Amino acid sequence: MAAAVALFLLGAAAVFFSLQLPLGTLRAAGSGLFPLALGVLLMGLSACHAAQLLLASRSAAGAAGERPESYRRVLLFLGVVAATTALLTSVGFLLSAFCFLLALMEILGVRPRLMSLLVSLVTAGFSYLLFVRWLQIPLPKGWLGL
Amino acid sequence: MDVLGSFQHLLGGFGVATTMQNLFYCLAGAIVGTLVGVLPGLGPIAGIALLIPATFGLNATSAIIMLAGIYYGAMYGGSTTSILINVPGETASVMTCIDGYQMARQGRAGPALALCAIGSFVAGGLAILGLVFLAPPLAEAALAFGPPEFFSLMVFGFVVLSNVTGGSLLKSLMMAVVGLLIGTIGLDPVSGNPRFTFGQVSLLGGIEFVAVAIGLFGIAEVLDNVEKPDAILEQRVLVPRFRELYPTLHDLRESLGAILRGAGLGFGVGLVPGPAPVIATYGSYMLEKRISKHPEEFGHGAIRGVAGPEAANNAACQSAFIPLFVLGIPFAPPTAILLGALMIHGVNPGPNMIAEHPDLFWGVVASMFIGNAILLLLNLPFVPLFANILRIPKKILLPLVMLFCLTGMYSVNNFLVDLWVMLGCGALGYLMRKWAYEGAPLLLALVLGPKLEVAFRQSLMISHGSFGIFLGRPVSLVFLLATLGFLLVPLAMRLVRTSGAPRRAA
Repeated sequence: MAAAVALFLLGAAAVFFSLQLPLGTLRAAGSGLFPLALGVLLMGLSACHAAQLLLASRSAAGAAGERPESYRRVLLFLGVVAATTALLTSVGFLLSAFCFLLALMEILGVRPRLMSLLVSLVTAGFSYLLFVRWLQIPLPKGWLGL
Repeated sequence: MDVLGSFQHLLGGFGVATTMQNLFYCLAGAIVGTLVGVLPGLGPIAGIALLIPATFGLNATSAIIMLAGIYYGAMYGGSTTSILINVPGETASVMTCIDGYQMARQGRAGPALALCAIGSFVAGGLAILGLVFLAPPLAEAALAFGPPEFFSLMVFGFVVLSNVTGGSLLKSLMMAVVGLLIGTIGLDPVSGNPRFTFGQVSLLGGIEFVAVAIGLFGIAEVLDNVEKPDAILEQRVLVPRFRELYPTLHDLRESLGAILRGAGLGFGVGLVPGPAPVIATYGSYMLEKRISKHPEEFGHGAIRGVAGPEAANNAACQSAFIPLFVLGIPFAPPTAILLGALMIHGVNPGPNMIAEHPDLFWGVVASMFIGNAILLLLNLPFVPLFANILRIPKKILLPLVMLFCLTGMYSVNNFLVDLWVMLGCGALGYLMRKWAYEGAPLLLALVLGPKLEVAFRQSLMISHGSFGIFLGRPVSLVFLLATLGFLLVPLAMRLVRTSGAPRRAA
């Protein structure tokens, strides 16, 4: 239901912002007409879906709930990716890649730790050589200047 | 264009495809594709999206030769994990698990792997021949298509794809609309006015579709794996030895019919919208089971249950290039990514593509013959080598894939904002999997959105604002009626089922 509500709100937002754009006429449609139609369509579809879910939940009342799952690792993973993205420019690619791999392997519990250290070191170094030196991709240099 | 003309052009295409540079990129595409197929989770969509940045320094022909190689290479590689560990390397290999894994349990992993490669090679070759002879006349026919026909065809494509992806039709349609909405961000394709950019210069070019693709399919897959129990993340696989790989003459005789039937079925399915390889493999498996004198063997290691679907898978993958090149409309997510790559390289596929870019079209087609031969060589004797990658525990592999996603994405535009979009789409893709929403319609709609809008607005301009134009043109009307049929048939079937149920109960 949360997804249906979110999609309905997205449709409503599309309608709201489309109305700020020139709509034109059907003969000469403006920038806002197509997204406006899409917004209305999304609102309609998500309302249908919400209704469907309500009817289904009524008929399936008393059914067992979903098995609770652990999202901890997923959140930690996303957190590390977000932190790396935020620090990439200042820390630079080489150091970021090394810390990034080390952190992700720690979250996944790779043992022995020496192996994570070695894999992170070798992969970060190889990626640097591949992307920066060989493919000449201008990745951020950061404090190290590499 | 007649048959002889197609042959002459194909020969010219071989001239393009056999330059040292193009041979190298064909080989690279085949190897990367096989690796992508072997790695469970990292399917052809994420594989192609990740490698697009690496093609920026190349000409369009070399770039598409490599990216196309990744697509059909992944189809070859996908069967490896299905057979060895009962985990499909990509969705199209699901059917191969059923009998392939049973064959492996009986100690016949080698013949199963070899017949997958042989079946894929034969079917791939036949499908490319179909592409050679069918694409030029279809392109000529498609020249008569105007904006209303293209609009109706695209709507038909969305609805069919939404209907056959296996999930809820309503959810898939909503995802398609969300994709279309994301596609409206940036400059209006008709007037050039900025839309939904909120003053951000980086949004003027629209949302980077590579970021969405890597997020929805690459990052989301990694996150989905991350929450799995440690036992799965540490799983390793026993790989067959080289000398165990050869099938017997009986195996080959047994499989030949299934391969040819699979090739025909796959080719036909690849021409219509939807996840063609998935439908083709399912259809082929069911067909083989139905016509078999021993249907009870299916599910217990029937070789025809492996060879047929794998052949269908590859044929569908090759024929899916026909709508992409001829109409400029991808009917499946991997070809949608290829459309994006073509546009990045300044090529606009459509009915005029063969005439405007003959070197690219015929060069890529010829490279597919070469690529299939390379893949047969790679997948027969070197299967154990590729399968060795499965010895790396996922606990180590997942962070490496994540780093590759991050680096690959940054190198597209060198914009940090793309990384944030990718990360957001990754989280969204993960939630979508949890809530059973399909990513494929969203991606397809994102790529096709601007084309759909232009066709819609041009149609209304031509008709002076009348929607009758979509119904007044025969081809457009046929597509719209077919769309309506695809929407109404499942509803009608559900109504029949629900009205029949109480009667039965009574």
